[in-house]
Amino acid sequence: MTLPRTIIGFLLAAVAMIGPLASGAFAATNAKPIEVKGEIIDTWCYLSGVMGGPDAVVGSAHHTCALWCAAGGIPVGVRAEDGTVYMVLKIKGEDPLAQTDTIMEIQSNVIVAKGNHYVRDGVNYLVVEKVVANEGITNKNHEDFGPIPGFAVPEEE
Amino acid sequence: MPTRNFMTWLAAACLLTASASAMQAQDFSKGSNANELGLTGEAKAMFSGKVVDILCELSGDCPPNCGGGNRNMGIVRAADNKLIVVAKNAQFEFNGPVDDLLPYCNKTVDVDGLLLSDDSGFDAKVFMAQFIRLSGEKEWKKADLWTEAWEKRNPKVTGEGPWFRRDPRVIKQIDKSGYFGLGHEVDEQWRKENE
Repeated sequence: MTLPRTIIGFLLAAVAMIGPLASGAFAATNAKPIEVKGEIIDTWCYLSGVMGGPDAVVGSAHHTCALWCAAGGIPVGVRAEDGTVYMVLKIKGEDPLAQTDTIMEIQSNVIVAKGNHYVRDGVNYLVVEKVVANEGITNKNHEDFGPIPGFAVPEEE
Repeated sequence: MPTRNFMTWLAAACLLTASASAMQAQDFSKGSNANELGLTGEAKAMFSGKVVDILCELSGDCPPNCGGGNRNMGIVRAADNKLIVVAKNAQFEFNGPVDDLLPYCNKTVDVDGLLLSDDSGFDAKVFMAQFIRLSGEKEWKKADLWTEAWEKRNPKVTGEGPWFRRDPRVIKQIDKSGYFGLGHEVDEQWRKENE
């Protein structure tokens, strides 16, 4: 039997709509090798807008807050140059919430990371095997915004 | 003409498609008592699901007890099998959710809180867990365990003030490169310009 083109089209559309739902049923996701350049960010402040717009909650202006959030166990991300946000699930072999200095030392830095990339339900995840380059903090936006939040820099030491 | 079997299959496909669309647009706010905060793309959300170690869920790399507090955690939502990243607990001092979720590792819970974000580079919502309970229990627990857990992790830390001013890892980095991360000279220059 030969199916009319309209029916075939309908079936393809139905499969395309069901696909994303069905994909969630598979627990394990295939990893793909990736090299990504971007800034290490605090995902909560960046995604929630709690401290202001996305231009203010990155770079030097937000550095101290980003340290607080990383120490506080809030997921750290990499914001790539194209704006994609990757959730970091491991950094140089360490779990991201381990009580070490690894993630703290590169907070707000622009890095080039090599590792594995997972995608599930719209979220990009990154397992960083190696930081192959580190440009430090390149976004000196404290000159525009001051510290974010304002109390991040105490008035006197 | 299409056969009867084919028509039956087509009807099933239509039903599945309709169900999928309805689920993708599902509203989880019904019954929620979450506190609204006016955050980006915010929506109240109460749902049930399994608490997971995210990396374990994605890769099969599964240490005992969801990584014992060292790993990011999420909830696989029962209604649609989506993996929801939990980014925050209910406290307002830069606190993550892991200490509140860890007691429920691989168990099914009900959570109440906020889904948020509409960033173009992040095609999902993250969750702020405000209340949590084991599924089947009546009483909700506020998701506010982080600060107490920090005190236990840092028994030698003394002094006054909030944890984030006293945390040894934070202090070490600020001592090394200042509040803006660019050196103490930059901090001093900013202070002079903004006296």
